[in-house]
Amino acid sequence: MRTGEIALDRSDSKIPVLVVSGEHDLNTAGDLRARLDELLAAGEPVIVDLSAATFVDSSILGVVLDARRRAEEAGLGFAVAQSDGAEAVARVLEITGLREELPVHGSRDAAGEAIAGEPPS
Amino acid sequence: MSEPELHLVLPARAENLIVVRQAIAGLGEALGMPGQRVDDLKTVVTEACNNVVVHAYDGIPGPLEVTASSDDDEVEVTVSDEGMGFQPRATESGSTLGLGLPLIASLSNSFEVTGRPGVGTSTKVRFALPRADLEGASEAGPGEPIDELTVAISPGAIVRPVLARVIGALAARAELSVERLSDTVLIGDAVSAHPGDDFATGRIEIAIDEADGALRVRVGPLVTGGGERLLAQMRIPGDEGSLQALARSMEVVQGASEDGRAAEYLEFEVAG
Repeated sequence: MRTGEIALDRSDSKIPVLVVSGEHDLNTAGDLRARLDELLAAGEPVIVDLSAATFVDSSILGVVLDARRRAEEAGLGFAVAQSDGAEAVARVLEITGLREELPVHGSRDAAGEAIAGEPPS
Repeated sequence: MSEPELHLVLPARAENLIVVRQAIAGLGEALGMPGQRVDDLKTVVTEACNNVVVHAYDGIPGPLEVTASSDDDEVEVTVSDEGMGFQPRATESGSTLGLGLPLIASLSNSFEVTGRPGVGTSTKVRFALPRADLEGASEAGPGEPIDELTVAISPGAIVRPVLARVIGALAARAELSVERLSDTVLIGDAVSAHPGDDFATGRIEIAIDEADGALRVRVGPLVTGGGERLLAQMRIPGDEGSLQALARSMEVVQGASEDGRAAEYLEFEVAG
């Protein structure tokens, strides 16, 4: 039974990637928030990769939106990616309008480019 | 709409959301719902449970109760608590930004939220079914703060998928070894293969408490002799290496059912 995991991947980019995999809900929302807080507090941009997530609920979406807001306020890059991800996650992003609102990029590279293309603030 | 086919009572804690989700997914699949609607059902039930976990109780988690029943046209899931009603309160882990109720509204075929302070809140959602072929039985009530999870399922096609997913989720959470994890499937298989006649209430009932890297399982109430028959079934000839080794201290225990009548239970513990 897959439960949620959150891992930090710095392998192929200057931008740290938080890889969210498995099922995530209220039980792991605090962990995700702490990981995002850590990166933002260190003044780092971040990509949240939801490609391996199989379930996310509104509390996870709330944490992601909140982190984006704080990143914007701090002038740090922030982007979300999902490529070939679970339909369940894609559907929730679609229904809530977050695919456009965040927005959600189709790959880590696209998310990285979006951050690189952001005007410095 | 029939009486509930599935009844879960568990402590209203965030770590139990995945257990509810697995049970509901097993039900949806057994009812022949398409994959996307099973996903939607999981989302909707999770959001309804979130409201209970976040808003219902102050401090000590009381019961989170999930019942499901179906007829030919739809499945109805009710998530309820005995709490204080919806309190405007920020979550510990962050704002849900009010997305929960809109998700429930947009993904279910219909929904209603009822309740008042002191009585508890109930969220009822309905999903259309392509077809359904299940019938159910009745259910009894929960109590005050609880530690164990109880599942009651009407005999039939949903028993095996629901039990397998619930036990699997709890075993994973108890951090059992990979071997034990796969072995726990055998518990659900043995219980679901057992005749419903041996269960005193006509429903397959099982209570699971997870602690210290172990699962404590209680099956029943069973009719007199039912415990020995289930025990015999657990001891599958030629299968000594798996199920018997899996469960330590497997025994039939005399007790009483909720209505006070004499009943017996099969109790065992899985660890390692």
